[in-house]
Amino acid sequence: MSVTTTAAPAPAVERPAPARRRGTRRQSPAVRAGKAVAVVALLIFTLFPVYWMLVSAFDAKAGLGTTFVPASPTLEHFRFVLSDGGFGVFLRNSLLVALATVLVSSLLALLASVAVARFRFRGRAQVLMLVLMVQMVPLEALVIPLFVQVRDLQLLGTLTGLVVVYVALALPFGIWMLRGFVAAVPVELEEAAYLDGATWWRMFRSILFPLVAPGLVATSIFSFITAWNEFVFAMTLLGGETQNYTVAIGLRSFFGQHSNDWGAIMAASTIITLPVMIFFILVQRRLASGLTAGAVKG
Amino acid sequence: MTSTLPVAAPAGPTRSSGAGGHRPFGKSFIARVRPWMLLTPALAVLAVLLLWPLVQVALFSAQDYGLPEIVSGEANWIGLANFAEIFTSEQLWAVVLPNTVVFAVLAVGCTVVFGTAVAVLLASLGRFWRTVVSSAIMAAWAMPAVTGTYVWVWIFDADRGVFNHVLQGLGLQDAPVNWFTDRWSFYAIVLLNVVHHGFPFVAVTVLAGLLGVPKELLEAAEIDGAGPWRRFFAVIVPQLRQIFAVVIILSTIWDFKVFAQIYLMPGGAGSNREVLNLGVWSYTESFGQNRYGFGAAIAVLLTVLLLVITVMYVRTILKEEEL
Repeated sequence: MSVTTTAAPAPAVERPAPARRRGTRRQSPAVRAGKAVAVVALLIFTLFPVYWMLVSAFDAKAGLGTTFVPASPTLEHFRFVLSDGGFGVFLRNSLLVALATVLVSSLLALLASVAVARFRFRGRAQVLMLVLMVQMVPLEALVIPLFVQVRDLQLLGTLTGLVVVYVALALPFGIWMLRGFVAAVPVELEEAAYLDGATWWRMFRSILFPLVAPGLVATSIFSFITAWNEFVFAMTLLGGETQNYTVAIGLRSFFGQHSNDWGAIMAASTIITLPVMIFFILVQRRLASGLTAGAVKG
Repeated sequence: MTSTLPVAAPAGPTRSSGAGGHRPFGKSFIARVRPWMLLTPALAVLAVLLLWPLVQVALFSAQDYGLPEIVSGEANWIGLANFAEIFTSEQLWAVVLPNTVVFAVLAVGCTVVFGTAVAVLLASLGRFWRTVVSSAIMAAWAMPAVTGTYVWVWIFDADRGVFNHVLQGLGLQDAPVNWFTDRWSFYAIVLLNVVHHGFPFVAVTVLAGLLGVPKELLEAAEIDGAGPWRRFFAVIVPQLRQIFAVVIILSTIWDFKVFAQIYLMPGGAGSNREVLNLGVWSYTESFGQNRYGFGAAIAVLLTVLLLVITVMYVRTILKEEEL
């Protein structure tokens, strides 16, 4: 890693290509123009689907013209989706399922993450390994046996059945992510509480819980998004119970036998996507670091 | 924080070491079982809803498990017949395996290369433009797979999609083309969808790594006469080896499991047998044909493939950190 700099300056001075220089020095117009083009192209590529979704949702003549702005702006698609389309019910179902999932999985994840972050006990490494491994299991492998299990419990077509499954799906990542937040709370704070005569439970409530709360919020948002976006299990477990559909599968009701109502589909997609985007921007940093937690040290 | 706690209270020190559980000696029984009390609810959920189903899917895969067996709950063992059928089927070797593996390799390659390029671009931008571009990237990342897929389907729609409109407007094609019937164009759209959704994670993670590379190293290399390419491959890449390993392995796992992005496309739910991948094949055999045993066998195959990759992932992580 040690780079010898003694002999270096000579070739650097001779080098007659200032355009190649980057970093702190001034950049040539060519480099700046190239960067500007790259930024514009990147912005168009990343934002076009979102933009096109919005344009189609607000355009009465979605897809009939070739314009890239709404030809005749309207809110009609949203009105149709929420009233006649029955999307209000799907939204309520999704909210119920997602909130129940958040409550249960956050509580379980918090308790488990305290155990693995704060205690040294036999089997701890195995527990962490298990948590890491189960995240990789493909949903397609779980959907068959869980369909049978949920059927045996007579929960097919119910929101409860979905919540049970989503808690399990959100739990491993929640434990993994919260573990980092718990570990970041200085042990000295806990010890000070014990010196004051606090019991473990008292310390947990008054010291650990408030300090881990931001991590809990981030984990909750992640669980919310998991439940909100999930598609395979909703489709399989809810079957024909249309009144219990969540937003992810409720969208399919706007697909016709021969032609699709694209304006309505895009309006409904907008309603689904916006809350997720807002949440995402709120937790973006923690999400990125949570995914690679442990592997990448900042 | 510490100052808000009155430290003067003369509580017994033995008690703190017992309840804290950081010291190996002097633990009370309560302190010893406390971690397990905390873990039990979560482990119970994982065991019942993730581990037991994995055992079950393996058991189903050795049975001719159809509707009668689901209703009666009785086993119907047929040994390895399901696997024999899978491995001798034309469908697996000609269609499903290439669709799964070749697609995953291409998708991972494109995602990682593109994401890294974006990270390098981001690192060279000023604060304002970096914020603008990162926010746009977040929007792409936040798009749920379901709605994202519908938007791409809509863009490439045969009759009214904007892609066909533009091509016709430019005079590049005379009549609308249905891009979803051909296997290659179908997967080209899936690739676009998956890369669009997957590159932000790579870009954000690699950017974090790039910003952590010591400036002195880069300056020293530049003084030594290394050009930008040389600096990138000889200085930055070795520094970020660990990050690249994690990013590549996670992307591989995700791209092997692609499901909604294919299932929701026209013909992707099983009616077009040319575009099946392992996940969709397993699902349509199970829930479309009621051949749950056969579908379970395909799922086992997919799980084993992923398990091998996962073991690599866990090893990479363990190398870096003592758990």
